[in-house]
Amino acid sequence: MNPVLGWRGVLGRGLELVRKELLQLWRDRVLILFLLYVFTVDIYLAGSGLSFSLHNATIAVMDQDMSQASRELASRFQPPQFRRVPAPADPRAAQRQLDTGRSMVVMQIPPRFQADLGAGRPADVQYLVDSSNSVLGLLAGSHAAEIVGRYNLEQSAARLAAAGAGAGLPRVDNAQRALFNPNQNEAWFMGIAELLMLVTVFAIILPAVAAVREKERGTIEQLLVSPLRPLEILLPKVLAMTLVILAGVTLALAVVLRGVFDVPIRGSLPLFYAISALYVFTTSGIGLLLATIARNMAQVGMLAIMVLAPMMFLSGMWTPPEALAPPVRALMAVSPMHYYIDAGFGVLLKGMTLAELAPPLLAMTLLGALAFGAGLARFRRQFS
Amino acid sequence: MARAALVTAMDGSPAGAAVVNLRGLVKRYGAATAVDGVDLAVRRGRMHGLIGPDGAGKSSLMKIVAGVLAHDGGTLEVFGQAVTSERSAERVKQRIGLMPQGLGQNLYAELSVEENIDFFARLRGVDEQALAARKRQLLAMTRLERFRERPMKNLSGGMKQKLGLVCTLIHEPELIILDEPTTGVDPVSRRDFWAILDGLVDERGLTALVSTAYMDEAARFATATMMLGGRVLAEGTPAGLLAALPATVVSVRCGEQVEAQRRLGAHFRDTMLRGAWLRTVVDAAPEEPASERARRAEARVREALAGLAVEALDTAAPDLEDLFIARAAPAGAPAPLPASAPAARRAWPPGYHAIEAHGLVRQFGDFRAVDQVSFTVKPGEIFGLLGANGAGKTTVIKMLNGIQPPTAGSGSVAGADMLRAPGQIKRRIGYMSQAFSLYLDLSVRENLRLFAAIYGVPRARRAARVHELLRLCDIQGIEDMLAGDLPMGRRQRLALACALVHEPEVVFLDEPTSGVDPVGRRRFWDILFHLARAEGVALLITTHYMSEAEQCDHISLMYAGRVVADASPEQLKAELGARRGALWAFDTSAPQAAVEALRDAGFADASLYGTSVHLLDPDGATLAARVAVALAPLGIAAGPPQRRPLSMEDVFVERVLELEREAAR
Amino acid sequence: MKAGRTLVVARKEWLEIRRDRLFMALCLLVPMVLMLLFGYGLSLDVEHIPFAVVDHDDTPASRDYSARFSDSRYFDFRGRLADEGAIDRLIAANALRAVLVIPPGFGRDLGAGRAARVQTVIDGTFPVRAMTMRGYVLAINAQASADLALERARAATGADERSLAALAQPVRLETRNLYNQPLRSVWSMAPKLIMVILMIAPPFLTVLGVVREKEGGSIFNIYASTVSKAEFLVGKLLPYVAISLFNALLLFGLARWLFGAPFKGDPLCFALATAMYVACTTGIGLVISVLVRTQTAAMVVVAIVTVVPAALYSGAIIPIESLSPAAAGVAHLLPAMYYAQVATGSFLKGVGWPVLWPNLLVLAAYAALLMTVGYLLFSKRPRA
Repeated sequence: MNPVLGWRGVLGRGLELVRKELLQLWRDRVLILFLLYVFTVDIYLAGSGLSFSLHNATIAVMDQDMSQASRELASRFQPPQFRRVPAPADPRAAQRQLDTGRSMVVMQIPPRFQADLGAGRPADVQYLVDSSNSVLGLLAGSHAAEIVGRYNLEQSAARLAAAGAGAGLPRVDNAQRALFNPNQNEAWFMGIAELLMLVTVFAIILPAVAAVREKERGTIEQLLVSPLRPLEILLPKVLAMTLVILAGVTLALAVVLRGVFDVPIRGSLPLFYAISALYVFTTSGIGLLLATIARNMAQVGMLAIMVLAPMMFLSGMWTPPEALAPPVRALMAVSPMHYYIDAGFGVLLKGMTLAELAPPLLAMTLLGALAFGAGLARFRRQFS
Repeated sequence: MARAALVTAMDGSPAGAAVVNLRGLVKRYGAATAVDGVDLAVRRGRMHGLIGPDGAGKSSLMKIVAGVLAHDGGTLEVFGQAVTSERSAERVKQRIGLMPQGLGQNLYAELSVEENIDFFARLRGVDEQALAARKRQLLAMTRLERFRERPMKNLSGGMKQKLGLVCTLIHEPELIILDEPTTGVDPVSRRDFWAILDGLVDERGLTALVSTAYMDEAARFATATMMLGGRVLAEGTPAGLLAALPATVVSVRCGEQVEAQRRLGAHFRDTMLRGAWLRTVVDAAPEEPASERARRAEARVREALAGLAVEALDTAAPDLEDLFIARAAPAGAPAPLPASAPAARRAWPPGYHAIEAHGLVRQFGDFRAVDQVSFTVKPGEIFGLLGANGAGKTTVIKMLNGIQPPTAGSGSVAGADMLRAPGQIKRRIGYMSQAFSLYLDLSVRENLRLFAAIYGVPRARRAARVHELLRLCDIQGIEDMLAGDLPMGRRQRLALACALVHEPEVVFLDEPTSGVDPVGRRRFWDILFHLARAEGVALLITTHYMSEAEQCDHISLMYAGRVVADASPEQLKAELGARRGALWAFDTSAPQAAVEALRDAGFADASLYGTSVHLLDPDGATLAARVAVALAPLGIAAGPPQRRPLSMEDVFVERVLELEREAAR
Repeated sequence: MKAGRTLVVARKEWLEIRRDRLFMALCLLVPMVLMLLFGYGLSLDVEHIPFAVVDHDDTPASRDYSARFSDSRYFDFRGRLADEGAIDRLIAANALRAVLVIPPGFGRDLGAGRAARVQTVIDGTFPVRAMTMRGYVLAINAQASADLALERARAATGADERSLAALAQPVRLETRNLYNQPLRSVWSMAPKLIMVILMIAPPFLTVLGVVREKEGGSIFNIYASTVSKAEFLVGKLLPYVAISLFNALLLFGLARWLFGAPFKGDPLCFALATAMYVACTTGIGLVISVLVRTQTAAMVVVAIVTVVPAALYSGAIIPIESLSPAAAGVAHLLPAMYYAQVATGSFLKGVGWPVLWPNLLVLAAYAALLMTVGYLLFSKRPRA
């Protein structure tokens, strides 16, 4: 008979099971390729492709004055924010240009613009913005306001000086300093956001798929008749998945985030790994929960979408808590991903320390432990 | 006959002409060759069988004939149409019905019986009037009428298979192609299915191409083609095939079974254990006259066993499984199993039982899955648990394994109490499931290593144990192959090795041999025999193969959650013989009509096997006369009845039908 | 092709879908839930920004200036900080997102007619939000400077209001936000969400439906029967197209009435384009399902093929004009962009046939192409 195992025996057995999970993952070439794809190409695409700034906004200037002053004003609408496109001949053509999307902005400088300026009469410039994309509409408007504001200040200063109104006009120069990402490099945000999201996706999907596969193939039965306890079956699975995901994180950090996007990693890398490992481990409970509900892979896929989509939107990554209605904000408070996002950006981009991150980490651990406990409990109930 | 004339008129070719004609057919999947140069002709109005294990190439061949799979070489003609392309295949599809492999796999689970039939009919453009008439007729014939509205997913295995047949027939094809229609179905439903099919072939002049993995079903075909590894091993009528094997089967009962088996194994090609008996196939010498074979075979066996006490000895003709093994087994005897010193046997206290079940009950809501089940299994005993799907076998095993607690009752396994120490049970038993439960993406060695770790085999012992098992289970030399790449026979032996890794004293085997060819099954049973007899391991096994049931020492037959018979196979057969008489077989000129006439005349068990009729009757002396009387009005002549040995299938079917009749009353 | 047999296939498929409760529920729920989540969760409107002031000057002028921020609807004033020391930490912990720092001498500089310097520190983690905040700061600051200049001019010249206005603001920029006058992000997003969801959901449903039949083995009923390829494919896809069209209607309803997005265009044109787009995306599903064998593989391929293009190469988030030439090229090869233009055009811009006909033409051609490819790849007598 078997001697009853001591803790070393149990540990050895666990390690053997982890080894088995890793071997199985390694032999699943489709999955490996998919993981390689998402942790490199996908993050690269997200980081390099997504940009929310005003970039190359097409502007058509209908200059009805054709004077030096009008040309001077129009010339201030410059790349990289703006790109000049040929002007329409008449207002109808202008409307059509906006309708078809060929230009995003049409600026109309009236006849007698220069004459009006010279005579001290206000000159009205029409600025039509396609605001069907609200963010870009707003940006196009505020950039224009800034350009025209500056133009006005220069004009007024010159005229007041000419009128003998003194040395100068008072004005405020408001210099802006963006913390953590001074050059507003969108790849930093998108790259990190995508990485944290992928970690979440795989933390849920990998254990779910592995568990459903054992269910489909009937190998789960073999484990259940063995002396292994449910926790001994699940723990190695989750551990192996955690290792794989951390390997993916390493790849993404080294190759894409550091290598291509030059993201500064301001905090402690070991801290980030520790947080990620804790998060993956605990969040896997949600995956196990799905595996107990689904009968096959297709259902796992659908259920995962249903769970992941809300988690993502309630993560605070896209919309800060303060912009949400109070009930939605309450939902956000129970999404473990929300805290992982805070902690992830906190360490990588903001250089925060363990002590500073204590509140979100505590919440994340608590919610994760709940999820893992629930997954384990349901798994245990279903199979014994 | 009118029917024959009709058939001729429809096709312009006479009955018996080839409906399907294959020449040198080849099918490859990547580097693997599934069908390797097969010639085959299927004659009109015949039931043509394809017999062979999984992977023999049967399914590919049938799909190619049905025009749903493209082939890579050779020629194929169906109804005289050369099938070379998707377009040419379309031309014959209206005349063909295909039922692919997998019980109910081609049916729609969410649809009702009637909706399934309607879909198949409308897909084939059957007009509504004809559909209504055919549906009524086919549902009546298959006794599914009552279940019209029931969703397919709620049908039993046997009913799914009959529904599959109805759906295949609804457009009245001339050729039906049925891929393993009886796999995974209990013996009673199987007999029922064959009776329906026989009737259809006979009445409608249908041509059927049917495959099976059960060797004993081959006797039901007019023509049988045995396949292995994509090639044809043998072809002919069942009788003709057997005539090609000049051998005698000698069964002996002998006190020193282990030694007897060793000696017989050394002298003869094919020896297997059947409970207390050893069954040996003795090949005749080339010049030996047929009349002398049995006597000489007996003499040779007695000579081999010289010095051992032979308690009983019987001779019989070989069956189709023997033929298959003779044709398929690689030359030379397999490596002998490692001899265990008697010292390796454990000492058991007198009266000790490896498994004890007392009044086990398991209730699921209103449904009682297991009802007062009791039995005992001694160390070294091979115990068979038989029963149809849903009879409660799996639930009994789960309770004994400690996975499911019983609602009532008690028991012990390997000396540990079922209720109090399920954890101990788990450490002391081995379990091998139907699906073989291996990690297909791990290698042979990795699988063994994993299970050794799971069962806590000490690290120091692990390598030696793995080596022992590789040898015992005859899977040496393939240690680094992935389990998924192994042929079924080896995969099965690997699964057994995994179940044995911690030297359990009790091993549970849940339908361990499904999908394995007869050669592999024999090898497997050799190992089981070694475990039981040489190492004193108690084995509990469930199986659908009635030929395997014969190999058990002791059998419990379950029906609707209860044990309805508990004895050795010999006793069960003797009991059936005493109650219902012996099994008789005879040839007739019109077998199907003869079966019907005999049933009407009171021979309730009359059934058709290929061209001969089987029935049970207690009075052999007057049987021929009574049969002649029953068949005379139809002008059918019958040959002399020949006595056949009763099989476990006869026992099973008789018992279950009896119980069903009781339940109906 | 016979209509009767097509309908037989369609009816069977429909019965199967309807009776698989979980599948049916997910078919209808997933798109709706995604829409609700995007609509409510992905608000890019930046309002109620937690905001604080460090006022080293503490003069009426500095208080007036900072009140312009505190009083706007964009910023939520959270208090005054004594000095700059805590700013980084508070922003890192998401307690504040913007801090205005006014140095000593602010009031003095303004009084002397000089430029006074201030600084706004903003949270740069998420560049879109940072950008928007910058826009607000710029706008408020420009207004403040203009008002100060006007005041000074009034004091210095004693001119009348009219000429003063002309003097301080020679050029008046009349900005008109076309199509989405209130700049509501949910109005912008809603039509594009219809595009994104209809890009992802129909192929998912289609591959699961078709591959399920392949995996299970019931496809052999079709292979073995005399039903033609066209009859089968059309019949098989019909229910999925119908479900997707129903979903489209549902999404339209949510966009129109729940999110209140205006619909100004031609309903017929939009409906037709939607039908063709659904045919396109169903066609993508068809082609994938002919090529793969397992449901798992099908889902992975659909995810890769649809999600990234729908998000990045469709104009959903970044206008096509702002993409790199290569990315813009990719966008032109995919159907998403053409439909996105129709959706935005129909909802917000109120354009119809005259502007959108080329898009419909492209969508129709695309649908026809995909269906043809699917038809040609599908074989009733496959090689394996």
